[in-house]
Amino acid sequence: MEEFVGWAGRILRINVTDRSTQVIPTQHYSKRFIGGLGIAAKIAWDEIKPDIGALDPDNKLIYATGPLTGTLAPGSGRMEIVGKSPRTFPKEVVTRSGMGGYWGVELKYAGYDAVILEGEAEEPLYIWIDKEKVKFFDASDLWGKDTFITQKRLKKKHGAKTQVICVGPAGENKSRIATIISETSFASGKSGFGAVMGAKKVKAIAVQGKDGHIDVAHPGRLINLASYYRDLLGYNPMREWTVGYIPTDYHLRFYKKYRAGNASCFGCPLQCFAFIKVPGLDSSQVNCVNYYYMNPAYSYYGETLEGDQALWEGVVLCNKLGICSFEIAGMVPWLKDLFDASLIDENSSGLPLSQHGSRKFIKELLTSITFRKNIGDVLAEGAARAATMLPGSWPFYEKYYPAHGQVEHNSVRDFPGIALLWALDSRDPMIDHHAYRHLSVSRQRWPNPHKLSLEKAQAVSEKIFGSKTAIDHSTYAEKPKAIAYCQNRSAVINSLVLCDFLYPIFVSQSREDRMGDTAAESKLLSAVTGVEISEKELDRVGERIWNLLRAIMVREGRTKREDTLHESYFRKSKIKREGKNEMQFTRLSSDHTKPVPRQIFEEAKGTYYRIRGWDGKTGCPTQEKLIALGLNDIANELYSLG
Amino acid sequence: MMNSGFSEINTRTRQSLVANPLACTGCRTCEVICSLIKTGHICPEIARLHIDRDPFEGRFVPNVCHQCSIPYCLNACPVDAIGITEKFGVVIIDSEKCTGCGLCQKACPYGMIILEEEQKKGFKCDLCGGNPQCVKACPMNALGIAYFGARS
Repeated sequence: MEEFVGWAGRILRINVTDRSTQVIPTQHYSKRFIGGLGIAAKIAWDEIKPDIGALDPDNKLIYATGPLTGTLAPGSGRMEIVGKSPRTFPKEVVTRSGMGGYWGVELKYAGYDAVILEGEAEEPLYIWIDKEKVKFFDASDLWGKDTFITQKRLKKKHGAKTQVICVGPAGENKSRIATIISETSFASGKSGFGAVMGAKKVKAIAVQGKDGHIDVAHPGRLINLASYYRDLLGYNPMREWTVGYIPTDYHLRFYKKYRAGNASCFGCPLQCFAFIKVPGLDSSQVNCVNYYYMNPAYSYYGETLEGDQALWEGVVLCNKLGICSFEIAGMVPWLKDLFDASLIDENSSGLPLSQHGSRKFIKELLTSITFRKNIGDVLAEGAARAATMLPGSWPFYEKYYPAHGQVEHNSVRDFPGIALLWALDSRDPMIDHHAYRHLSVSRQRWPNPHKLSLEKAQAVSEKIFGSKTAIDHSTYAEKPKAIAYCQNRSAVINSLVLCDFLYPIFVSQSREDRMGDTAAESKLLSAVTGVEISEKELDRVGERIWNLLRAIMVREGRTKREDTLHESYFRKSKIKREGKNEMQFTRLSSDHTKPVPRQIFEEAKGTYYRIRGWDGKTGCPTQEKLIALGLNDIANELYSLG
Repeated sequence: MMNSGFSEINTRTRQSLVANPLACTGCRTCEVICSLIKTGHICPEIARLHIDRDPFEGRFVPNVCHQCSIPYCLNACPVDAIGITEKFGVVIIDSEKCTGCGLCQKACPYGMIILEEEQKKGFKCDLCGGNPQCVKACPMNALGIAYFGARS
C-alpha cells in the first residue's frame, strides 16, 4: 500500500436519524482533492443534490480537516464546513464556511479527517466522539441553553480537554443567520450552518483525541520549515489591535481598559484574537467583526462604561445565542435607516428603535431574532430575505449587502479585485482572501514601522502576479488573473487546512524587501506527507477544487448572469455612510459612493472566464477544462444534465 | 537524607523552563513540537509540558517541569533511574533502568511525568540538552529558561 502519512485516514459518517455510524477511507478522496474543502466539496457533489433544501433531513454537513491540520505548520488550526446553506440568497446553495480553533485538531487526533453529519433526529441529541466510540446522548436538558453553558457542561461531563462545537438557541430555532460556535467565538457563521445543525436537532458534537497522534513523514524538515516560516511571517502588529486593518483611537482606548490577554487558534503565530473582560458581562475573545456595535453605542452613550457594556453585550450575546455578528453588523444600520424612513416603527417591530445604539436595543434585537419574536421572526431569515418581506426596505438593504445576501466585507465599490471576487463566489469571498486584501490595501495603511510601502507592495505583486497593476485599485486591468490565482490558492489553503490570514505568505514582516514565500504551502505539505509536490502542482490541485466548486454552483443553476452584484452597486450611491451608521468593514474605503463601472466589470468577467477556460457565454467550466483537470466524472455528470 | 523544606530549595545550580501565563495564548505549539521531537509523532498529550486552557476565562497556563532542586520524582524512583545532569542540572530519566512503575508520576506535584503505556517507560522534560525547542517555537515568548544558582 502506498504511504499515507499526515492524514488520519478515515472519514466518519454519522446518521442521526437511525443513530448509525460508518467509517470510510479518506484515500478515496484525498488523491484528487487533498482534504478539507476539497474532499468536502467532492462529498457534497456526490451526496447533496440540487433539489435538497438546506433544512431538509437530506442535507448534510461535512466538517473536514486536512493533512496539515493539527501539525506544526503555523496556523494549522482551521477546518472547513461544507453543506447546503440556508443563508445564501436568493437561493440556498452548497457553500463553505470555515472555522478556527481547536475542534478540528481534536477530531484529527481522535482519528478522523472529517465528519459527515446527515439525517434528522427525532429528539435533541448531542454526539460524543471518543476515538472508536461514537455515542449519542439526549440533549433535551441542553436544548435552549446558550453556547457557553452547553460547552461548560459537556466539558464537565467528558473532561476539560474535550472540544465542543455547538449551536445556540438561534440555531435551534433555525435562524438562517445562526452560527456553529466553539469556545467563546470560534465560529462558522457565514453560511448559516447553525440552522442546519438545529434542524437536525444536533445540539453539539463533542470530541476528544486524547493520546491519538498524527504521523509526519519528515519531522526534521517540518520543524525547520515551521521555524523558518514563523520567522519569515515575522511580528504581525495585528495582534496588538485585532481589527481588520488599522484601529481607531477609541478602539485602542477600549483595549487598554479591558484587554486581559491574547487568544488564538491552534498553532498560530499571529494570534488575531484578544481576550476581553468587561465588568458585569461574560468575557470572550474577540476580533474585528465583533466590534460592529461600537459606533452606535458610542454615539448613544459616549465613551463611557455604559457604552462599553452596550457594545460588549452585542459581542457576547451573538456568541452565546449563536448568531452571526457579520449579519448583525449590516442589520443594525439597515434597521436604523428603515426607522428613519418610517418604514418600520417601534410598535409593529417590537424593538426600541428610537434607542438605536443603546444596550437595550441590541439586547432586544438579538433576543427577538433568536426566539423569533415580532419582527425578529422575519429578521431571523437574514436581512436579504427580510428585505423582500418588509415593504420598501430593499433599497436600504442594498446599501450594506452587495451580493449573495451577505454583508459588505471590504469596500466592493472601491476595489476592483474585491468586486470581482464578490461577484464570482457563492458567498462573502473576503473570508478566504485576507492575504490579497492585506497586500493590496491594509498593509499599506498600517502605522509605521509596520507599513508596507507602495514600491515594495508593487515589487511583491510583480513577483506573484507578474505585474504591478494587479494591486492597483484604480483599474480592472490584471485583476481577473490575480483573483483566479487567489481563488485557486484559497482552495489549496482551505484544503490543507491552513489559515488564509497567514497564507499565501505574500508579504514578510521580517525581511527588508518584504518578499514573502508563496511556496510555503507546498513545502509544508511535502514535509508532512512525504509526497513531494511543487507549488505549481499544488496550484493545479487548487484549480481542480475551484472548478469542482464552480461545477456545483452550475449544477444548482448558477450562470454568468448571477455572477454579479446588486444593481445599486453599479450606480453612484447617494448616501454617504458615515459616523453612526458606518460599518466596521468598509472603513478601508475612501469613497463609498463610487459606482462599479458596469461595462468594464463585464469585460473583466469575460477575461476571467477566458483565463479559467470556462464558457464565456454561460460561465460554465467547459467539458475539456474539467477533463484536463482530472474531473472526468464531474464533466460527465454536468454535461449529461445538459 | 533530603527534606523538601523551603530552606533547602536552592541547593543546587540548575536550569529549568519558566512560563509566563500572561503571554500564553494556549495555541499548543510547544506541545506539538515537544511531542514531535521526543516521539517523532505529533501527539500533544504526551508532550513533556502541557497547557491548561480555560477559554471562557481567557486563562492559558503552560505547565512545565521545574527541574526541582530536590526532585520528588528522583526521590520516589525505586531503581535509581532518575539522575541529575552535571552540565545543566537537569533531572533526567534513564530509559535503560526505568521499569515504568509509575511511582515518579505519582510523586510529581506538577504532573510532569509522562508514562508511555506501550513502552512501559516514564518520560519527562530533559530541557532538550540545554536548548529547549518549545522555547524557540513559542510565538508569544511565553516560555523561557531560568538559571538558578546554588545558595551559598
